[in-house]
Amino acid sequence: MKVFLLVFFCVMATLLSLSIGALNIPFGDLVPALFGRGDEIHITIMQDLRAPRTVLALFIGAGLGSSGAALQGYTRNPLADPGILGFSATAALGAVLALYFGHQNLVTPAALAGAGLGAGLLLAMASNKKSATVLILAGVGIGALATSLTGLLMNFAPNPWALSEIVYWLMGSLRNSSFGAAILCGVLTLAGLLCLVVTGGDLRTLSLGEDTAISLGVSLTRLRLLLVTGVALCVGSGVAVAGAIGFIGLFIPHILRGIFGSDPAKLIPLSALGGAGFLVLADSLTRVLSNNGTVLYLGILSALIGAPFFIWLAFKAGRS
Amino acid sequence: MSLVLENLSAAYGKLQVLHKINARAKPGELIGLVGPNGSGKSCLQKTIAGLIKPDTGMVRLEDQSIHLLAPRLRAQKIAWLAQERNTSWALPVRELVSLGRAPYRGLLGKLSFEDENAVDQALVSAYCLDLQTQNFDKLSGGEQARVLLARALAVGAPLILADEPTASLDPYFQISIMQSLKDEAKNGKIVIASLHDLTLARQFCDRLWVMNEGQLVADDKVGRALTNAVLERVFKIKTINGEITRVQKPGKI
Repeated sequence: MKVFLLVFFCVMATLLSLSIGALNIPFGDLVPALFGRGDEIHITIMQDLRAPRTVLALFIGAGLGSSGAALQGYTRNPLADPGILGFSATAALGAVLALYFGHQNLVTPAALAGAGLGAGLLLAMASNKKSATVLILAGVGIGALATSLTGLLMNFAPNPWALSEIVYWLMGSLRNSSFGAAILCGVLTLAGLLCLVVTGGDLRTLSLGEDTAISLGVSLTRLRLLLVTGVALCVGSGVAVAGAIGFIGLFIPHILRGIFGSDPAKLIPLSALGGAGFLVLADSLTRVLSNNGTVLYLGILSALIGAPFFIWLAFKAGRS
Repeated sequence: MSLVLENLSAAYGKLQVLHKINARAKPGELIGLVGPNGSGKSCLQKTIAGLIKPDTGMVRLEDQSIHLLAPRLRAQKIAWLAQERNTSWALPVRELVSLGRAPYRGLLGKLSFEDENAVDQALVSAYCLDLQTQNFDKLSGGEQARVLLARALAVGAPLILADEPTASLDPYFQISIMQSLKDEAKNGKIVIASLHDLTLARQFCDRLWVMNEGQLVADDKVGRALTNAVLERVFKIKTINGEITRVQKPGKI
C-alpha cells in the first residue's frame, strides 16, 4: 500500500510537470499532445520541452535518490549524500574542465570520470577503521578541493561568455533539455541503478559490521566496485546534463526510512522512486516561480530545501 | 568432520599475536576458549573464521584448508559471532536473523523455503521467537545478544565461533546463551566460545583451550585444564582459604 502511494506520488508529479509552466496544458490534452494530436502549440511544448525535461528530471532524481540510499547504507551513516561527500563537486569539476577547454561534447564523459574519481577516492578510505565523522570530513574536503579547482578555472576563464556559461551551468537547471540528452542520461542512470540495486543484499548484511559481513561471504572489493560504478553513472550523468543538484540523496532516503524501515536493500529502489517524484515536482516549482521574468535554478531550489534539512539532521544527531 | 589447527601463527598488522598453535576439535564438542585479555582469543577466532590470513600453518575443516575455500562456501561452513553487538540500522529481528542466510541467497536476495525454516529454527534455538516482530534497537542488551546468536545459528554451519557471547550480560541471559551453544554442540556442531567467566566455562564446556600470550598453554577436559598452576601462571589468580585472590606481581603492590 505504501509503495503504491509512492508510485502514485511519482505519477501525479509527472503529470503535473507535463501540465504546468509558462503555458498550462490541461491534463486531458497531455497524452494527445505527446502523440502529436490536438493544439499545435501544445504539441510543440510537449514534445520539444516538457516531455524531455520531465523524463530527465525523473532519471536524475532517481539516480540521486538511490545513490544517497546506497552511500548511506555503505557508510552506515544517514548524513551521507553524493553532494555532501563531494561526488557532485568532482563531477562538476570534470564537466567544467571540458567546458573550460571548449569541448562541450566531452562534458558527459568528463562528469562521469569526475564522479567516479571522487567516489573511488572516498570509498577507498571508507572502512570500519575510519569513523563516520572522519569519512564525512574527508568527503567535505574532497568536495571543497574540487569546488576550489572549479573556482580556479572560472578565475582563469578565457572570456566572460565562457564564465557565464560555467556559472549558469553550475547552478543546475533542466532548461536546455532535449530527447537526446534524456536518452543518454536515461541509459547511464539505468545502468547505474542496476549496479546499486545489486548491492542491496550486501549492504543489508554490512549493517552487522564489515567483519561479520565478510564472514557471511560478502566481498567488500566487489561491493565497492559496484557502488563506485553505480554512483558515478547516476551522479555523473545527472551533473553532466543538469549541473550540480544537491541534497536529494540526503533527505529522500531519510524520509523514506521513517516510512519503510531502514533496510538498505529496500531503500535503494524506493529512493529512486522518491527522488524521481521529488525532482520532477521541484523542477515544476522552478517553472512556476520563474514566470515573472527571472529564472529560478533547480540546483538553487533543491539546496534551499535540502540545506536546512541537513542542518536539522545534524542538530538532531548531536542531541541524541 | 573435524577442525584441525596446524602450526597456526597470525598477526594483527605488524603485531605478531598467535604463535604456532596446534589443536583439534570434533563434532559434538563445546570448547571454551579462555585466557586473560590480550592473550589472542579474538585473533584465534578470526583466523579460524578466515577473517585473518595466517602467516604460517593452516586451519583445516573437513580436510580442506578454509583459506582456500571460496568466500561463500566458507561462509556456509563457519558461523562467526562478533563480540560487538551494535548494528548500523534498526532492522526488525526476523530480518536481522535472516542475514545469517546471506551465504545461500541469490542475486535478488530472496529467501527460499529452506532459508525461512532455518531462520525459524534459529529463533527457537536462541529463545527469541517471541521477539521476531520487534525492532532490534528496542530490545534490551540480553535480548540483543540472543538475537545476534540466532543470526549466527541461522547460518546452519557445522562450525560455530562465538567471541565472548556472554560479556556484560546478567546471569539469566548468560545461562540462556550458553545453553543454546551447548544444544548446538549436542546436535553435532563444533562450537568454540571465548569466555571470561571461568564458572560458566566449567559448567557448560566439554573442553577448554587456555591461551596465554598468543600460545595454547592447555587443551584438556575442564577439570584438568584449569589447574592451580594454570590459574596462577595464566590468570594471575589463586585460591586461599576458599577465597579467590590475585597473585602479586613482583615489585607491585
